[in-house]
Amino acid sequence: MRIRPSREKRLLHIRTAIRWLLYYVLIFAGFIIMVSGSMLKPVILLPLALAIAVGNDLYASTVTAAVCGLLTDIACGRLFGFNAVLFSVFCIAVWLVHEHYLRACFTNYMWLTAVIALLQCRLDYVFYYGIWGYADAESIFLHLTLRVWLYTCISAVFVYLLTRLINKLRQREESRLITEN
Amino acid sequence: MREFFKSTRFKVLVAFIAFLLGMMIYAVTKGGYAVSGASIVNTITKPIRYISGGIASRIELASDKLTNADSYYEENQRLRSEVNELKAQLSDYEDLKEEVEELRKFVVIKEEHPDYVYTAPAQVLGYTANDPFKSFTIDKGSENDIEPYLPVATAEGIIGITVEVSEHTSLVRTILSPDLSIAAVCAETNADYGIIEGAVLAAEKNCTKLTHLDLDNQLKVGSLMITSGTSGLFPRDYPIGTVQSVGLESSGLSACAEIEPCADISRLSSVVVITDFTGKKEAENEDKTEP
Repeated sequence: MRIRPSREKRLLHIRTAIRWLLYYVLIFAGFIIMVSGSMLKPVILLPLALAIAVGNDLYASTVTAAVCGLLTDIACGRLFGFNAVLFSVFCIAVWLVHEHYLRACFTNYMWLTAVIALLQCRLDYVFYYGIWGYADAESIFLHLTLRVWLYTCISAVFVYLLTRLINKLRQREESRLITEN
Repeated sequence: MREFFKSTRFKVLVAFIAFLLGMMIYAVTKGGYAVSGASIVNTITKPIRYISGGIASRIELASDKLTNADSYYEENQRLRSEVNELKAQLSDYEDLKEEVEELRKFVVIKEEHPDYVYTAPAQVLGYTANDPFKSFTIDKGSENDIEPYLPVATAEGIIGITVEVSEHTSLVRTILSPDLSIAAVCAETNADYGIIEGAVLAAEKNCTKLTHLDLDNQLKVGSLMITSGTSGLFPRDYPIGTVQSVGLESSGLSACAEIEPCADISRLSSVVVITDFTGKKEAENEDKTEP
């Protein structure tokens, strides 16, 4: 049986709200990075969505992943919803894998992000360049898509550190729970 | 008293004063130069005077700050507001200057082609992330009479076409994209026709491709390609780009050329949308009359 004093409960709600607010501030900052300048940029919202999915509520993190996907669609000029669908599916997969098989740690997060980012980049390439039969389309994959993937993997390190910082709020929440057997 | 005047001490003092007077007279005869004694003293004390002068000025400054702090504060505030005002004026001036220079270029084109109807210059909000064909978003939309598939240009040349128009913004597909084709003709020969169409490898170099050229074309490096206006999508005789190289298509049945756009598509700050032009009206009329 769990006893949670009302004041503790109120604090818990406030901390959760702050945590999610900070997540969305990060998402907004990531979006701004993606729409600024004309150089190649990482799909920074993908590692962010995955980092949020690890250890958070499934529904909330899936909705957040969809938001990240929609913002990525806007930034990358993709069909509105294309990346939202992909991100949501990836987010659910990551949540399930962490729930049943993997421990939430940096190494697991990095290799999962790398694999998923490669999958997202490949799908993006196939649907937007590959299937249209442009001459030398493979050049886009080699010179652009792979570089974007690499940048995304590098950005994942910073995203992980930032989200870990925010997740400290969650750890405090958990430590405040009084459990009575 | 008399004893004093008779004493040796008095004599010594008088001698000393006489020495000083003599020295004074000597100094007068030097014509503005210091006597050697003064010069030596000055030389020796120079570093000390530097230090002491510095300390003194700091003390004076500190006391000045303390005594006049209020008046300095007020003056500072007044000057700061004046600086801000001037900065704002300068910023407005720079914006206006930029806009005037941009518009001045269009005046020449407008004089040559009075049929062109331009929108006000649209700012480039940003390039689409990771797009190899450099599509971008502008800050003008349907509220500025922009419709889909209108030509977008700078004073230097055609840039692309509007593809997704919302109320306040529009997405522009550039001539680097393989999804946009423009009928073009060489401005010098007025005979070498072809289709400007983006290509993946050319886009990597910020260039586009001219295809379907005759094998016996007269194009040479530096030739200017302009719009032929046959499609009705683009106005006639608008510059597109210059020929960088001429070669054969992989099939060998026709020639092709690499074209460098007149404007640097990767570094655009403002563009205009051509909302109306003579060819467009004709095309619309033809469409309407066609069964």
